[in-house]
Amino acid sequence: MNNNLKILFHGNRIELFIRWLFGITFIYASYHKIVEPAHFAKIIYGYYLFPEFIINLTAIILPYLELLSGISLILGIYPRSAMLILESMLFAFIVALSINLIRGYNFDCGCFSFGERGYGYSAAHLLVRDVIYIILGLQSLFFNKHRKWCILQSGSILKNM
Amino acid sequence: MPCKDIAKELIILIGFAVISAFTVNYFSPNGIALFGQWDTSKGVITAKPKNDPVTGGFEIKDANTAKEIYDTRKAVFVDARSYEAFIDGHIKDAISIPTGQFIEFIDHFKTKYPSTTPVITYCSGRECNDSHELAQYLIGEGYTNVKIFIDGYQEWEKKDYPVEQ
Repeated sequence: MNNNLKILFHGNRIELFIRWLFGITFIYASYHKIVEPAHFAKIIYGYYLFPEFIINLTAIILPYLELLSGISLILGIYPRSAMLILESMLFAFIVALSINLIRGYNFDCGCFSFGERGYGYSAAHLLVRDVIYIILGLQSLFFNKHRKWCILQSGSILKNM
Repeated sequence: MPCKDIAKELIILIGFAVISAFTVNYFSPNGIALFGQWDTSKGVITAKPKNDPVTGGFEIKDANTAKEIYDTRKAVFVDARSYEAFIDGHIKDAISIPTGQFIEFIDHFKTKYPSTTPVITYCSGRECNDSHELAQYLIGEGYTNVKIFIDGYQEWEKKDYPVEQ
């Protein structure tokens, strides 16, 4: 591996940047969902993918998973697990988005504000955005050195510190 | 792979998130029920928030009944959808009051229709509750005879009832 790639994968400043980027992004993303859970529940319904009994429970719990994982990443509390939660959510969202794109459904993404339409250019844009986030998140997930500004060092997804 | 440690961390993070979520939802004025009403065959879908505008008492649940009232010309139909949607097509002779622009539209409406006028609100169908919100706003303005046609414009159009653009 050349030096530039090594810096990219093993640099703890880059790890810190990615962790904070995720933290700020997901804290921001959780805000409108927490303030308007009824609206968010309707957006989940609009994906036409979930059984009825799970819609409200998802609308209640998911924003807090985003919020607390985001705070954990910024403070450095169990960062690998917080990142694992957010990476899983991003993956699930990409699957949901792809299914609805294939089905040709028009729906509201509900990611950062209510009213992001999930079709045409926007859908492609959302997919690209989330794939980029997933790739960035992998750096932090597999980062196995000392993390900068971290309250609870835990190691990487592959081994403990 | 340190599965045991990761599992422990996940339980702590997720557990804390779940407890926070249910606690805030319970005390928040915007909180919702644990289970919503998401079956359109049973009526308008709703997450059942504490301030739920979807109430069954004033609903007209089929297009035929709405058409019978329409034919008597005794009620004014009010479209709760966006003005753009209204322009694209609406129930013939309906008035537009988009729920999100209620304040802009209500004064003109009040000058034309006194509070005793029978009013029927509608939106696009059972997947929207704008008509319920609008009905609440109108009742708040003193209108005493407000009903909601829950199947909305889609069903009306499907039945080939009178529309205009």
